[in-house]
Amino acid sequence: MVGPQYDLVGNPLGAVRATFERAAEAAAAESGGREPVAAFRGKDWGANEVFRSFLFEQGGLDKVPVLDASNLGLIKPNTLVRFRGMVQDMLGNEYYVGAFKDGSTWRTNKFSDFSPFSIPHPCDSHLWERHLFHCVPVPGQNSWTRESSPGPDVCTMSICLTPEQREKRKRGADNDAMDVSENGNVEASSSSKKPKDDDAHNSNSSPEVSMNKEHIPEMNGVDHHIPGSSFSCLVKVYDMPESQVKLNDVAEFIGVYTFDPELAAPTDNSDDIMFDLIEDVTAQLPPSKVPRLHCLVRRKLSAHDFLSKPPTAEPSPILLKSIRQSLLSHLTLVLGKDELAAQCLLLHLLSRLLNKVDVVTVGRLSLNFTGFNRESASIFGNQINNLIQRLLPYSQAIPLSIEYLNTATLQPRKDNKSGRLITGVLQLPQGTHLTFDETLLQSGSLTSKGVENTMLLKNLMESQMVEYDFEYYKLEMATDIQLLTLSEGKSNILLSDLIVPFRPSCVPGVNASAEELESWRWYLATVRSLPQSTESETYQVTIPCTTLSTNAVMYLMGTYLMSCAMFVPHYR
Amino acid sequence: MVHFAAVSSPDVRPSSPLPATNSSPAQSGRSGGRRRRRGSASPYPSSPSLGGFETPPPPGRRTPSGAATSRQRQNWTGRFPPTPSTPMSTDDVPPSSEAGDEDTPETDGGGVDADAAPVFVWGTNISVQDVNAAILRFLRHFRDPRDAGRVDPVMDEGKYMRAIHRILELEGGESLDVDAHDLFDHDPDLYGKMVRYPLEVLAIFDIVLMDLVARIEPLFEKHIQTRIYNLKSSVCLRNLNPSDIEKMVSIKGMIIRCSSVIPELKEAVFRCLVCGFYSEPVMVDRGRVTEPHICQKEQCKATNSMTLVHNRCRFADKQIIKLQETPDEIPEGGTPHTVSVLMHDKLVDAGKPGDRVEITGIYRAMTIRIGPTQRTVKSIFKTYIDCLHIKKTDKSRLHIEDSMGTDNPDANKTAEDVSLGDKVEKLKELSKLPDIYDRLTRSLAPNIWELDDVKRGLLCQLFGGNPLRLPSGANFRGDINILLVGDPGTSKSQLLQYMHKLSPRGIYTSGRGSSAVGLTAYVAKDPETGETVLESGALVLSDKGVCCIDEFDKMSDNARSMLHEVMEQQTVSIAKAGIIASLNARTSVLACANPTESRYNPRLSVIDNIHLAPTLLSRFDLIYLILDKADEQTDRRLAKHIVSLHFENPNIEEIEALDLPTLVAYISYARKYIQPRLSDEAAEELTRGYVEMRKRGNNPGSRKKVITATARQIESLIRLSEALARMRFSEVVEVRDVVEAFRLLEVAMQQSATDHATGTIDMDLIMTGVSASERLRRDNLVAATRNLVMEKMQLGGASVRMIELLEELRKQSSMEIHLHDLRSALGTLMTEGAVVIHGDSVKRV
Repeated sequence: MVGPQYDLVGNPLGAVRATFERAAEAAAAESGGREPVAAFRGKDWGANEVFRSFLFEQGGLDKVPVLDASNLGLIKPNTLVRFRGMVQDMLGNEYYVGAFKDGSTWRTNKFSDFSPFSIPHPCDSHLWERHLFHCVPVPGQNSWTRESSPGPDVCTMSICLTPEQREKRKRGADNDAMDVSENGNVEASSSSKKPKDDDAHNSNSSPEVSMNKEHIPEMNGVDHHIPGSSFSCLVKVYDMPESQVKLNDVAEFIGVYTFDPELAAPTDNSDDIMFDLIEDVTAQLPPSKVPRLHCLVRRKLSAHDFLSKPPTAEPSPILLKSIRQSLLSHLTLVLGKDELAAQCLLLHLLSRLLNKVDVVTVGRLSLNFTGFNRESASIFGNQINNLIQRLLPYSQAIPLSIEYLNTATLQPRKDNKSGRLITGVLQLPQGTHLTFDETLLQSGSLTSKGVENTMLLKNLMESQMVEYDFEYYKLEMATDIQLLTLSEGKSNILLSDLIVPFRPSCVPGVNASAEELESWRWYLATVRSLPQSTESETYQVTIPCTTLSTNAVMYLMGTYLMSCAMFVPHYR
Repeated sequence: MVHFAAVSSPDVRPSSPLPATNSSPAQSGRSGGRRRRRGSASPYPSSPSLGGFETPPPPGRRTPSGAATSRQRQNWTGRFPPTPSTPMSTDDVPPSSEAGDEDTPETDGGGVDADAAPVFVWGTNISVQDVNAAILRFLRHFRDPRDAGRVDPVMDEGKYMRAIHRILELEGGESLDVDAHDLFDHDPDLYGKMVRYPLEVLAIFDIVLMDLVARIEPLFEKHIQTRIYNLKSSVCLRNLNPSDIEKMVSIKGMIIRCSSVIPELKEAVFRCLVCGFYSEPVMVDRGRVTEPHICQKEQCKATNSMTLVHNRCRFADKQIIKLQETPDEIPEGGTPHTVSVLMHDKLVDAGKPGDRVEITGIYRAMTIRIGPTQRTVKSIFKTYIDCLHIKKTDKSRLHIEDSMGTDNPDANKTAEDVSLGDKVEKLKELSKLPDIYDRLTRSLAPNIWELDDVKRGLLCQLFGGNPLRLPSGANFRGDINILLVGDPGTSKSQLLQYMHKLSPRGIYTSGRGSSAVGLTAYVAKDPETGETVLESGALVLSDKGVCCIDEFDKMSDNARSMLHEVMEQQTVSIAKAGIIASLNARTSVLACANPTESRYNPRLSVIDNIHLAPTLLSRFDLIYLILDKADEQTDRRLAKHIVSLHFENPNIEEIEALDLPTLVAYISYARKYIQPRLSDEAAEELTRGYVEMRKRGNNPGSRKKVITATARQIESLIRLSEALARMRFSEVVEVRDVVEAFRLLEVAMQQSATDHATGTIDMDLIMTGVSASERLRRDNLVAATRNLVMEKMQLGGASVRMIELLEELRKQSSMEIHLHDLRSALGTLMTEGAVVIHGDSVKRV
């Protein structure tokens, strides 16, 4: 029963409401006019189906623009947008008037902040709930991942705002900035940035160029962790048990982008104390900077989703073997022809947390390359970082210096005053790669913060856990982060599973072609996601190894993973 | 018959929590409707009419919100059993009233009720008279089932009548705590109504209560509030949902933030600026005060002359707190939810940030205005809880603290108690299992391979012995200290981590990073105030817990020496900067160390290997040597064990083990409630075994005098056997416990106190660092040297080179003698005054 075809991109709410009214009528007819919409609480009445088929079956996905910092001011409100990000904070639930009776017809407010029809004062209405998630662009997301599904150019689209509208919008933003600073929230950096962006777009000389500028790899996303300087999005998710989304999940949300200048008006700072204290965390996220997204369709993203081409074929052993060979030879070249190091690096890149039994973590393989000094770290370290950036979806390089340890905020912390989770460097999505450059470390004294940070890193290294500070208690969050340390001698701060002396014999100087990179990414994503085999054959390989030393865990992991990578061809 | 909506008089329940919530003008029309509704419920129905309510309601009458619907509802949501369905989702309620409770502002409550025969509160199925009578019956006649057995004339009155009398006598109490369980036991229907329509029912409750009070003591003027607590079910903060709105809920959480106390205007008094006339107190209505326009004094009649007189107004306290989920309720990968709670009057400041509390209250929603001046509201609601009752809960799940202060808290049967009772029953059942000891052993660090005897020792440490305090003031510790010494990579640190996780108050430190003060306590000067403050270190912080010290060998001597006092006296004494204090540190120490040369050198003594002061070493009850011996059988099994962790289901092996929470509960229960005493047979066995142990040293076969055990060991044995009895939840230490304790000690001693020269147990090795055979050898050498000196050297003669003496000695005896042996022997002689040593030469004097 596909009704009048709405422009799902330009007017998604129209479609939502149309389907609702139709469903409500049907339900009313069925139940005999009693409470026709009560059943729609927490359920979908068919709107979801329409969008899903449009997006995934009719190829509508490519028509939906991707919401990011660059086009925040350009997209018309109440249109369909896409947003890829990490769930940075969960802001709880929100109750809203989900459905109300306007005269004789039922109307819905689902997927919008306010009703287009005024709610008549005494009326039948239903209270529904939705979940709020504060999402940010994935920290450490590498630039190649954005090319995979670029979405249409916003400026050429019909849903783009006209210059006058944009002007108005800009004024709104400026007002907001002022209000915010009045309220004492220091977010000045973005308010100064904003008009510049708008000017750039207003000049309209070369929108592509400015877009591309935004796509320049932003120093590995570190600036995300400077509070207030980055773009984020408030996603409102419907009809879902909350446990389905976890903190630090990376997901794509497709939904209605809303912006209502009336709502953007500052919440009153009158003497009404009641309001002041039952205040909402969303009040700190002005809609002009933090767009609202009413999520219609949500899907969790894995490394595969960032690949621009879908996997061509089944992972056949021969194909895997050849790609592995080429990746290995490239790694060897990058690592100055140190084959052992290249092998280890490959295993390290393939490692993934398999299991966690109490305090034992199984499957991780943190790697420590020793034998670096400052010069070689700058040469090889950069090479390695560049390569990892181009191979893995998210990665970050952290210079481990005394100053960094003493100043950086690694631990995410809950601010109970504002009710928000203040992010730290270690709030990372599963599967992030971290490179520590320990050659920068010199002797010096750590402040208490430095000690705390070191403890956090140590904990992360040992048990793949990051403690989040909730003021009255600490909550441990499980992570899965690959850790690579470059150091002069064996690193005693960050004890890795595998310590490999690095002995390059030449200076690296290779570049990989785009196709090669593509295939390697595919290889890494595929092999990592393969289920680990429990074939007895594999274990027989490992058991003799362990008898060499009872201190086997470390080596076992190495050999295990090595066999895993080697046995993959046999797996299928 | 009282017609509710028709009677419209000012709110007479000024200190009730309920009306105050309406104080925000934001709740415009919607709350106004309710206000009228409830306000109308508030006036006293003229008291004589109340007598009529005592007649029981028609039998068999069942309101739609009764048990039937609630059961149906239970199936539907599956988690909120006693809450009857909401108006939104039930079919019993006519459509006109649907959603009425939530957000429909009513035009005029009176109009609807006007022609209904029994008076129902608008939008509900509450018949005022029925409820009124039910409450009265409950208050008058409810008797505590626990009192039933007692024959006591004073107990003739119902539980709550007594409580009311108490309030009247003391003149202090302003609230009557009503246990919702009692209410449920007495009248499930009333309970259901109360949970579903708390505002209405509580209003009637208060009226009935006031009326009762007025009849007992007509002069009593204070307002008594009803505080309901201990609902049948409590909701998880996370699971609150729109259907709970306007319902009575009970949630647990942690206070994370408190607002300052807000004075809320209740009654305003105005004064005429012209003539000074004071107006009658004006009630606050819906958060607004209507200022009189005209002076009411006949002579004055000035317009717009009234001004508010602050200090004649009446205010009530109000506070808003934020409640957050407790960490144990947060699902993995989630962040805690919060909810605002509104506190009134006495409840203000009842909890402070960081407290864990259980709150009973009414879940409410309110609209948000778009702007301060606009009357239009957003479609979004803010939610909060009107607090009725707050109860602090203790952190430990096995420990109940009854804040209600009833005389017999142990008999107080709360919902928690019931579930707790179940839990305790389960634990007791577990304790009756014949293999509980092995089971516990298996459950401790299941992923650590074998080391069963070490695990048993650690288990003993967790359970602990009984501390003994003699009337004379002497203390005997009940805590068991354990030292693990072993080769690298023998999972010592993992055991430590595990213990740290498991113990009630575990502190984990690493010896390398700990200083003496960091472990004990230190005095610091506050930089701002200049005050000296005492800050406690790890050992003090782990009072009544386990202090795990990793890398014990890498600790500075200074820091280690601090442990002497802690490990035997269990206190930390401080005498510094004007502060002399003795802090309790009743902690079990679990230390682990690597041997001095990183790997255990079997040729060296334990002391040399551990390189710890013997004084300190003797304070450890059990010293385990975990050695990494290469053995193909064990290696193969270990490898298999580690590999099995990689299998998809790593738990295959531990079918019969307890999971971590059960283990924790088991241990804390045992520690708290089981105080085993030695039985006569066990005491006998202890004595016998101890004498045996001592005797073994005097084995006629070996002429060496070896001290096998010391008095410290017998204390250790008692502690161990007590801990073993605790594991079985047994109040009596039996012979088998003692036998097992001996075995454990033996296992540990064999490993740690084996004299590698003789192969026998040798406590001297631990006590002095020198084994008996070694001492014998030294004595022999001294004697031989003395003889040699006497023979070969003249009194006051020429000095002899030490090397020469050594050669002489070597010729004489078959023993292998080193130069340093000789040097020490000569040192002994020198102290005797027989010789003088100058550098390398020896001279007889």
